[in-house]
Amino acid sequence: MLRVMAEGDAFEAVVAAHHAEIHRYLVRITAHASDADDLSQETFLRAFRAHRGLAPDANVRAWLFAIATNLCRNHFRGEKRRRLAMAAAGAEPAPVGGRPDGHVLLQETGARVDAILTALPMRQRLAFTMRKLHDLEYDAIGASLDCSAETARAHVFQALRKIRRGLDDVAIASTEPRT
Amino acid sequence: MSAASSTCREIEPDLVALAVGEAEPDAVLKVEEHIAECPPCMRELHQYRAVEGLVADLRRTPLPGADATLARAQLESRLSDLRSRLVSFGLFDSPLGPMLIARSELGVSMVEYVESEAKAAARLGRLTGAAVVESRAQTEAFYQDLLDYLQGRRTRLDWPLDLRWARSDFQRRVLDATAQLPYGAVTSYGHIARDIGAPSATRAVAQALRWNPMPIVIPCHRVVGSTGDLIGYAGNKVSLKQQLLALEGVPVVTHGALQVERRAMYVRYLAEAEYCLPTCGELPSMPLTRLTLYGSRARAEAAGLAPCASCRPDLHPMST
Repeated sequence: MLRVMAEGDAFEAVVAAHHAEIHRYLVRITAHASDADDLSQETFLRAFRAHRGLAPDANVRAWLFAIATNLCRNHFRGEKRRRLAMAAAGAEPAPVGGRPDGHVLLQETGARVDAILTALPMRQRLAFTMRKLHDLEYDAIGASLDCSAETARAHVFQALRKIRRGLDDVAIASTEPRT
Repeated sequence: MSAASSTCREIEPDLVALAVGEAEPDAVLKVEEHIAECPPCMRELHQYRAVEGLVADLRRTPLPGADATLARAQLESRLSDLRSRLVSFGLFDSPLGPMLIARSELGVSMVEYVESEAKAAARLGRLTGAAVVESRAQTEAFYQDLLDYLQGRRTRLDWPLDLRWARSDFQRRVLDATAQLPYGAVTSYGHIARDIGAPSATRAVAQALRWNPMPIVIPCHRVVGSTGDLIGYAGNKVSLKQQLLALEGVPVVTHGALQVERRAMYVRYLAEAEYCLPTCGELPSMPLTRLTLYGSRARAEAAGLAPCASCRPDLHPMST
């Protein structure tokens, strides 16, 4: 049927436009390529089942993030499982030593940020990743996390505070105050 | 930030907002005024800006494991499998009561009378292996056609059908043969059995139609017992069968049971190209297993039949 074919193509376009980004988001959250593979597939299979019910002007990207985020939260539900995932991802704070050159310093600082992110409460980490690494609007993040845009913003800011505090003992060579 | 200063504490959220570029203009002013007087908060702002720089680095850093090629290929394969199994359904009110309409990408796969949601769920459960989702949007067009049909504005439901969930090849053949029965025509289970080359399988035909996954669309209401009795419709809903036949102009009378009034119907013998008056030749004594009955000349002629050259129904039409 032509009508069915057209809808199939429409979903193809959704996959083409968003799969890579959703996968990247899931790699960032799970720290496991194989988990991200599974969860991204599940995200799009769920989306396929439900996309016909979407309003024509719906924000498909935000909606996909919401599905992926829910799957992540289920995935990590249970503290034990989460700890195992973190251990497997090698998410220990990287040691900071000596006076390395700028490049290495940056890498180490990056690892430090990674470690702080991994240790964040899940909602803060999800909110931070959606906002700061994928540029989602706060209302979309709120919809993903079942909270208000204001609360979503509070999660992001809380994450920023923790990163900022975590960097207290690290020299941020390239970004020292210039005044 | 000086822990002692309540101003510093109050201004901190705006300071973070300013650092990440999200502060409102009046908040920007407030923070700028404050940090001009407060070196610790000035330092704090720089630190947050440094964090922004790190976040920007994080975005640029290649992500190990971010190659989605394999995941995408697996997704495509699972999507194509899901697409072929996906069945959307809707529940609708109709003049015959609540109805379930379900369709796949191939066509309509189920139309059922359902008194309750539990019954609908049980019916959908028969679609073994299907991925079932509720979608009024996907089924609404069929519902509108169905309403038109039930209100007499349409005499055909020439929808694409998906008979993958038929119970057997035998049932599929019975359903196919039944689907050929035109609007306003009636025949018997035995006739369908002959049609599909299994003349002794009358009971099996009746069973196959008992499990018709889409009554109305596959018009099993046009199939009656060899005596003309309206038997076996949707369990015990013979009155629905009567309503559907009445809609098509088929006369139904009560002779003990509900019966089509064959004396008031035009007749086709087996696969002949003509239609006759019910009194033509041996027809009155012939069992319905060899006959198809039509409620009117118009219906017989719409089915492509010519008037019989001996009894001339065109010259001696029955009074209606």
